[in-house]
Amino acid sequence: MKVKILQWHAVASWTWDAQDETCGICRMAFDGCCPDCKFPGDDCPLIWGACNHAYHLHCILKWVNSQTSTPLCPMCRREWQFKG
Amino acid sequence: MSQPHAAAAASKRPFSSTTTSPSPTSSPATPLMKKAKHPAASSSSAGTVEKNGIQLDTAVAAAAATGGGRTNGEEDAEMVLADQDELPAPSAPASAGVAANLFRKKATLPQPSTSARKPLRIKIGQPKLPKNFEEDTWAILKDAITAIFLKQKLSCDVEKLYQAAGDLCLHKLGANLYERIKKECEIHIAEKISALVGQSPDLVVFLSLVQRTWQDFCDQMLIIRGIALLLDVKYVKNVANICSVWDMGLQLFRKHLSLSPEIEHKTVTGLLRLIESERLGEAIDRTLLSHLLKMLTALGMYSESFEKPFLECTSEFYATEGVKYMQQSDIPDYLKHVESRLQEEHERCILYLEANTRKPLIATTEKQLLERHTSAIIEKGFSMLMDANRINDLSRMYDLFQRVNAVELLKLALSSYIRATGQGIIMDEEKDRELVPFLLDFKASLDKILEESFAKNEAFSNTIKDSFEHLINLRQNRPAELIAKFLDEKLRAGNKGTSEEELEGILDRVLVLFRFIQGKDVFEAFYKKDLAKRLLLGKSASIDAEKSMITKLKTECGSQFTNKLEGMFKDIELSKEINDSFRQSSQARTKLPSGIEMSVHVLTTGYWPTYPPMDVKLPHELNVYQDIFKEFYLSKYSGRRLMWQNSLGHCVLKADFPKGKKELAVSLFQSVVLMLFNDAQKLSFLDIKDSTGIEDKELRRTLQSLACGKVRVLQKIPKGRDVEDKDEFVFNEDFSAPLYRIKVNAIQMKETVEENTSTTERVFQDRQYQVDAAIVRIMKTRKVLSHTLLITELYQQLKFPVKPADIKKRIESLIDREYLERDRSNPQIYNYLA
Repeated sequence: MKVKILQWHAVASWTWDAQDETCGICRMAFDGCCPDCKFPGDDCPLIWGACNHAYHLHCILKWVNSQTSTPLCPMCRREWQFKG
Repeated sequence: MSQPHAAAAASKRPFSSTTTSPSPTSSPATPLMKKAKHPAASSSSAGTVEKNGIQLDTAVAAAAATGGGRTNGEEDAEMVLADQDELPAPSAPASAGVAANLFRKKATLPQPSTSARKPLRIKIGQPKLPKNFEEDTWAILKDAITAIFLKQKLSCDVEKLYQAAGDLCLHKLGANLYERIKKECEIHIAEKISALVGQSPDLVVFLSLVQRTWQDFCDQMLIIRGIALLLDVKYVKNVANICSVWDMGLQLFRKHLSLSPEIEHKTVTGLLRLIESERLGEAIDRTLLSHLLKMLTALGMYSESFEKPFLECTSEFYATEGVKYMQQSDIPDYLKHVESRLQEEHERCILYLEANTRKPLIATTEKQLLERHTSAIIEKGFSMLMDANRINDLSRMYDLFQRVNAVELLKLALSSYIRATGQGIIMDEEKDRELVPFLLDFKASLDKILEESFAKNEAFSNTIKDSFEHLINLRQNRPAELIAKFLDEKLRAGNKGTSEEELEGILDRVLVLFRFIQGKDVFEAFYKKDLAKRLLLGKSASIDAEKSMITKLKTECGSQFTNKLEGMFKDIELSKEINDSFRQSSQARTKLPSGIEMSVHVLTTGYWPTYPPMDVKLPHELNVYQDIFKEFYLSKYSGRRLMWQNSLGHCVLKADFPKGKKELAVSLFQSVVLMLFNDAQKLSFLDIKDSTGIEDKELRRTLQSLACGKVRVLQKIPKGRDVEDKDEFVFNEDFSAPLYRIKVNAIQMKETVEENTSTTERVFQDRQYQVDAAIVRIMKTRKVLSHTLLITELYQQLKFPVKPADIKKRIESLIDREYLERDRSNPQIYNYLA
């Protein structure tokens, strides 16, 4: 054994693991943020529904709160439930 | 001065009285009072004052004093007249002492009401004058005047003469007396002045002759005025268009002076000649000059006869001198000379010229010495002074130019100086490394000059700003990049010489340069790239300094600009927390093989520069670590993808060399390559490429750094700088180094050409989007807009330089994508398509 690793400083970058590139509500990239936010990433997280559709958390909340009857997923029109 | 004090004082008096009161007859009382005091004061110290051969005893003073006291108020004088009417006819009113008798009478005047029992009638006849009263009295006065003018001893004392003149006035013979005195004086004055004709050709001697004549005249007229005081008071004052005895004397003097132009001419020429020789540095009799100029003023000839030719003379003198000196001396000396000349002229006005002359004189001097040469001065000396940083000379130049309203010219020169000086270094690609330090020094010296030489003039400050901005943006993008790199150098670890405060100062100064840069996006891109490397490779000198720089940028450009940079710091903080919890997690404790201390920086993709994915076949044990961490991370944060950025990873290796153990700080790629040599003795380039899977170019770089750099952990066969496909590598058994810890990963900090171009390209890409967005924004509000107007609005919105051709391309692209269309009737007009 000539060399041995003592320390390793690795670097990794993360992105959202969603099926689409962009949010179905605001049409902004998931790697960016919703129109109300300034910082992408943890400050403007994604949320998945039971139907497995992902949106910006802020976008879907706005949508859910604006519905009078039971809110539906904007993409598949199934009843919206947060994926637990 | 050889004359007694009294003479000087007395001779000054008339000047001030004639100059201060425009109409000579308006207030005789004040000069009289003053006049009365002065001889008295002098006589008390000297007893009898001998002046020009005339006996002037204290009686004069007394007479003048009583006269002055009596005639002080007008009512007083009237009362004396009234008293006299009641008196029985005086037998000899001409006899001396009338005034004195009156004085006594008045003092003991009985009260009329006490003895009014029986009316007493006294016949009062008209008082009659002796037959030859007027002629006799005049004869006395005439003799006296002649004697005064001839500087002979007076035959009778001055008090008597004073009374004689007074008597004549009393008997309403003032007009006659006035004319006679005038006539008499004229004869003498004419005689004296004509005596000057043809006198000495030497101007200085001539001038002193003139001065003596004038001085005598003044003294003599003063005595005559003293004698004829009552004439002034009782006659002159009540008659219009007639001047006092003193002024009449002046008029006569002037009249006869102008009758012989030779004297006037010679005097003026003499004066001018004197002043010129003083300008040439000779010592001259300033008193003489002063006296003669005052004479001219008193005679009312100053501005016409002297001032005009004097100014012409000055103009001529300085015109010649200006041209000559401009050729002979360098600019700083010339400016000093001008300054001292102006000071001299100013002093000249204080010493002997009239105060009124100052303005035109200084203006003439300024015009000839400065105004005519401003462009030449700037052309010849400005750059030189700026180059040599000569604060004082520049300050002098500024002050002088301000006097002649040529500051604008100076401003222009400053502007073109800044542009010209920086141009060479800005445009020279060879000198890129020196550019930022040069700009910093240049700006600092300009600021100093602005403050100390140009009085912090706001216009100059703006000029500096404008010119500097122009200068820095002469070359697009590159200066912004260089500034970012300069900061990187300063903020990178290893600058042990600079203290926190010094660093802070440098940051502030760099920020000033940053302000001038038009393409701030280029700066941001490069700054971000370098910041990322500093943070990820642990090369930052001080996190405090980094954060302070971010704060500065934020105040300068707003949070939009620094959002992402701040995000990067957040990621670093967050990564620390993740690493801590990873170490304590069950996954790490149960599954992780011991031996390697692992830490991971987890980056939020949006904040950081994009890195091209770099594949590498990791040794098995590293893969295990990676997988365990990934499992941990994704269990903690669901819905995410984790991508390893291998190009940024770095390791610390323990290496056993035959000559001693070392710790090597290396990049991940380097350590992957080195790990191969644990199992093999000799590896070819292709072998290494095969087993590591590192991209060709990157691998060559890596091997080069290991085998061809300063620290040679590997040996290349054959030797040489470039790595060829057939080269082979062996572990360097002979490796030795003085230090235990050795850094080999400098290669990671170094910017590659690809990195540079990709950073720049990304900026340009971003700019395209910004142009697109701006065009759509504008068209959305305007709906219909002509090409020119669109371009104008675009330039107002865009904060970076764009070529019109590029904008046209973007418009075409937007038309293709159906954001816009060309108007059917006019292709110069665009319609917005909703």
